[in-house]
Amino acid sequence: MSKLRFLLALWMAKLSIPALKITRHQGTDFPGQLALKICPNLLQYMGRPKTIIAVTGTNGKTTVSNMLADILEQNGYRVMGNRAGANVISGISTAYIRACDLFGRIRKYDVAVLEVDERSSVRVYPYVTPDYVAITNLTRDSVMRNAHPDFIAGILTRSIPRSTKLILNADDLISCGVSPDNQRVYFGIDRLDTDVKECINLINDMRICPKCNGKLEYEYLRYHHIGRARCRDCGFHSPDSHFLGQNVDFANHAMTVTEEGRGYTYPLITDNIFNAYNVLTVIATLRQMGMTHETIQQSMSRTVIDTTRYGQEQVGDVTIIKQMSKDLNAMAGSRAFDYVSSRPGRKELFLVMNNMTDAAHWSENTCWLYDTDFEFLNKDDIVQIVCAGPRALDYKLRLLMAGVPEEKITCDLNEEKAADTLRFTPGDDVYYLYGADDWGMINRVYDYVKKLALERGGSKEVQQ
Amino acid sequence: MRAEILYPEICNLCGDLMNVRYLQQSCPGMEVISTDLKSRPVFLDEPVDLVYLGSTTEKGLQLVVQTLLPVRDQLLARLDEGQRMLVTGNALDALGLDVESDDGLKFDGLGILPTHARYQMMKRHNSFFLGKFGELDILGFKSLFGHTYDAPETDGLFTVIRGVGRHPGSELEGFRRGNLMATYLTGPLLPMNPPFVRYLLGEMGCNHCTPAFEEAAMNAYRQRLSEFSDERRNPVD
Repeated sequence: MSKLRFLLALWMAKLSIPALKITRHQGTDFPGQLALKICPNLLQYMGRPKTIIAVTGTNGKTTVSNMLADILEQNGYRVMGNRAGANVISGISTAYIRACDLFGRIRKYDVAVLEVDERSSVRVYPYVTPDYVAITNLTRDSVMRNAHPDFIAGILTRSIPRSTKLILNADDLISCGVSPDNQRVYFGIDRLDTDVKECINLINDMRICPKCNGKLEYEYLRYHHIGRARCRDCGFHSPDSHFLGQNVDFANHAMTVTEEGRGYTYPLITDNIFNAYNVLTVIATLRQMGMTHETIQQSMSRTVIDTTRYGQEQVGDVTIIKQMSKDLNAMAGSRAFDYVSSRPGRKELFLVMNNMTDAAHWSENTCWLYDTDFEFLNKDDIVQIVCAGPRALDYKLRLLMAGVPEEKITCDLNEEKAADTLRFTPGDDVYYLYGADDWGMINRVYDYVKKLALERGGSKEVQQ
Repeated sequence: MRAEILYPEICNLCGDLMNVRYLQQSCPGMEVISTDLKSRPVFLDEPVDLVYLGSTTEKGLQLVVQTLLPVRDQLLARLDEGQRMLVTGNALDALGLDVESDDGLKFDGLGILPTHARYQMMKRHNSFFLGKFGELDILGFKSLFGHTYDAPETDGLFTVIRGVGRHPGSELEGFRRGNLMATYLTGPLLPMNPPFVRYLLGEMGCNHCTPAFEEAAMNAYRQRLSEFSDERRNPVD
């Protein structure tokens, strides 16, 4: 009976695919949603490709999944995955429905690369047993959904099958604690010149030893709880990395990755430490599959970052830098602010990280603004900060609390009116920091900012 | 003027610690003491104008209870003597009778507040709150695993206008016991409520102080008050 229900669900879902194509909705998770309504344990009856890689974690899982899929495809693997859809159960089910035959068998693919939302683990892993789970990091995310990283680590530990091998960030003691009985390898980045010993961020969720509750001391701390720690009471310490990033050279976009004492030079996709970790996650995962460093190196050099998350163009007399800074996610905001503040040159900032979905019918819970390091924006070379959208007044108060002089701050609830106040001083870099839940508004306002920059700059050409 | 933060190394979720920073910015010169889990709370032995305890993890709650249990009677005596204390978010549950969750977690609280916390770990409660503290409008958010039950419908900190109080159906939010103010509201309660900050500063004897960045804070407060009063918005997400 259950198998019949599965086949009915699968066939109905498969039938919906051409219908969605005709109506130009092929990017949605509707097939998975439909199938799960008919057969909630759909994935239990699905076949599997030879290898399944799941990528999870608070930040970086989309970038890592996309890079893994790209590199595997470049090297002849037939890759299925959910990059076109959501990372929750409906998106993963849709990926399987698209990949399987009429009986649920996966015959055309060698590898699945699945981006899995952490909370969705409880619905995915009972039915899908990954060979590898790569956890990029576990940090605070939306307090409304994910509460705190310890809660998420607990979900993952209860959900990930015992046979799955974990690929973990040694510099993140929270994710290191997931599924302690599973086989694992670690990646990490060696001490950097910019590391500190005491946390300068508002958030550090690893201040006490997970074994004895004693105070943790950091040999070096990169940001938040990311670094290398030791407990002075019981001797607990961060694990050693099997894949260690060294000689990180952001200026030349290069990093050495050392495995078993031998170093390999890799390109970095951006000058952002976050993406250095993403590159390491990809390398560590592909090495588990037996791919050689030489092959990964060659493929990595052909990889480009998704331009919806970062982009830069010369418009008129200014450079506009588009940087995603996820709303509701204090860690992402702090990393984006730290990055922006560390860049050279005079900067004008446009903040439009509002949660528009909530703003429409409820109200965004603004707790995260008070976990985010707005203090990074209190710098002389940040000459203007424009706050836009429904939460503009909250941004202004938070910026004032961070010590930003009031004369630098302008705000307007209307995004276009806020953009009108940008100065576009010739030679300035204009940073457009945006959230992730209203692409229509984000693109519309970005185009408006570009138009203004062109008008102020005497209609010079746009240079990508 | 002195404020003491209890266990900031673990009681720091939801931006709660910024409540104390805002108070400090409102009262320049305020000394802020951070007391860690290995240290004896200063307010047990010395005058402190406000003790603050913020949100934490479920493990953190148990650690708070374990740490305060040996000094529970002294804590209670100080509260009965009028010690001012502000507790936000789930830290309230450390002061209650017990905590029980649907994933098997169960532990006793300090038994200072007559209430039982019940959590549903995969069903997070998110809501906004509009209530009253005397004549003052109070605004806030809740992001919690559950509610607290079985307390008498008395001694609330706030009365509910919109949103959820101690539990769905309760007309009271939080608890007031002398100068102990405990609320389930999470995060930036004080930056979001400059009129309440003005009241609190007065209670602390800091009558000459005003809420920091008062104009900006009041503009955000008025906008949010208008949003939360809008009947088209459902307080529970």
